Amino acid sequence: MADSIRSFGTRRVLLAGFLVLVALSLAACSGQSKGATYHFQWDITWKSVFTPNGAIINGLWLTIGISIVAQILGVFLGVLAALARMSRIWPFRVISNIYIWFFRGTPLIVQLTFLFYGLLISNVFAWPNIAIGPFTIAQEVFAGTLILGVNEGAYMAEIVRAGILAVDPGQTEAAKSLGMPYRQTMTRIVLPQAARVIIPPLGNEFNNMIKNTSLLYALSVFELYTTFDSYAVTSLIYFEYMIACCVWYLLLTTIWGIVQGRIERRFARGTTTSAGGPGWRQRFFSSRRRDRAEEITVLGGH
Amino acid sequence: MTVPKISTNLLGAIGGVPRPETDVVVDARDVNKWFGKLHVLKDVCIQVKRQETVVIIGPSGSGKTTFIRCVNHLEKIQGGRIFVNGHLIGYREAGDKKKLVEDREKNIARQRQEIGMVFQRFNLFPHMTALENIIEAPIHVRGMAHDEAMGIGRALLERVGLAAKEDVYPNQLSGGQQQRVAIARALAMKPALMLFDEPTSALDPEMIGEVLEVMKELAREGMTMIVVSHEMGFAREVANRVVMMDDGIIVEEGAPEQMFSAPTQERTKTFLSKIL
Repeated sequence: MADSIRSFGTRRVLLAGFLVLVALSLAACSGQSKGATYHFQWDITWKSVFTPNGAIINGLWLTIGISIVAQILGVFLGVLAALARMSRIWPFRVISNIYIWFFRGTPLIVQLTFLFYGLLISNVFAWPNIAIGPFTIAQEVFAGTLILGVNEGAYMAEIVRAGILAVDPGQTEAAKSLGMPYRQTMTRIVLPQAARVIIPPLGNEFNNMIKNTSLLYALSVFELYTTFDSYAVTSLIYFEYMIACCVWYLLLTTIWGIVQGRIERRFARGTTTSAGGPGWRQRFFSSRRRDRAEEITVLGGH
Repeated sequence: MTVPKISTNLLGAIGGVPRPETDVVVDARDVNKWFGKLHVLKDVCIQVKRQETVVIIGPSGSGKTTFIRCVNHLEKIQGGRIFVNGHLIGYREAGDKKKLVEDREKNIARQRQEIGMVFQRFNLFPHMTALENIIEAPIHVRGMAHDEAMGIGRALLERVGLAAKEDVYPNQLSGGQQQRVAIARALAMKPALMLFDEPTSALDPEMIGEVLEVMKELAREGMTMIVVSHEMGFAREVANRVVMMDDGIIVEEGAPEQMFSAPTQERTKTFLSKIL
């Protein structure tokens, strides 16, 4: 224990030192770049973070909305694809395998441009604008969300499959012996237990999803990144705008990190004698070695 | 460790002894099973009558566990027929030659509702409390009202000596307590038949007694049971019949007194001499 605390302290000092170094070199650069000196307009960063205009707020909500909808779609498709992949019926297995193979094997940005512009311009599929009450979801937002979700499904499929395989086969037998049909066995017994294994990587996936929405830039969806980029490209003030953009993404991913910690602890119910897994504070501040030791006690506690 | 108080009216909790539809509850005829090339069950015939307790003994690898897993179709069979309550289990006969075709999953699930099973490793659902484990199937399989299921669940827990543990998750229970919850879970479905697959083999010695006590009580109250076990004391006390299996064959069967004191087969004698 004393050892890990010491290493924790050392780490902190190193990190602080590194940050000071970065700050110093940045300051140095600002003073003596080769040609003309660059004048940093920090007020632009400041304003974009603390008093964002309507476009940035709009982009923020779009990023949040698209991430959530696409991730939900991804989880849903992932569960279906995982079950299909483990099905006794071979056409299900083949379809699932082709789906996973294609969407994991090609770059997301290619999928986005191919499935949106490709289908649209060749008249194969006219992506519609979706009207929900007074709101309209533009075709590129609709297409982008769908494609992100379908792409995500391919990754979730592997995660869900691993989760299902991690559940003791005795659980399935117990459920069957009580007369539960396949669907009930899955939804009430196997998947809730698989969730415990699925949720940590799922959190990771959602974190990626928040960032991947920026690729909708290719479809001119004015989410967070496209909005900032449009300012940067017209004013050529990249540095200041992109720092603000980073701050917004960090805010989103940090909030998600906290939420994820809570969810994980809830799902640890019935698996450990303690309150559950490490919270976000521990996750964020503790050293790797300590985390490892904790994992081992959790596993051993069964 | 004191053996907990086991109620003398266990089946009262589920409204008395579930009554099987037929006199012969289990009728296994010429059951054959292969694992790949390994012939694990060879023409096994076993009949279990209403309210009978049959204990199957034999060395490991003799096929006794495989056999009771076939009785609720957790294992497929390649030959023969198994009837429970007069219904052919897991299969239907197709065509003039009466070839065995695996039944629809829904029908198999329905047949399993009448057959309770207790596993060596308990297999309680770890994400549910003791009481939730018990009421899960009555509510979601039988469609029982929540309050009624809770009533039955609580009554069962009380009678297996675990009234105080209803809100506890399985990982906080001892092995013996978990197995008693598992028995209660199976009983809550009011099964016509109970299967026990080495229910005490994974338990610490001091916990075996409490589980056997529940099983003995069930047998005395007239539950129809097949028990795979090495607990000879249990067999002697409550079994109506003991069946000795070895290498996929039924070597001999008989009343426990006769089997333990005067076995007719050499194989039974050597096996019993090793474990008694």
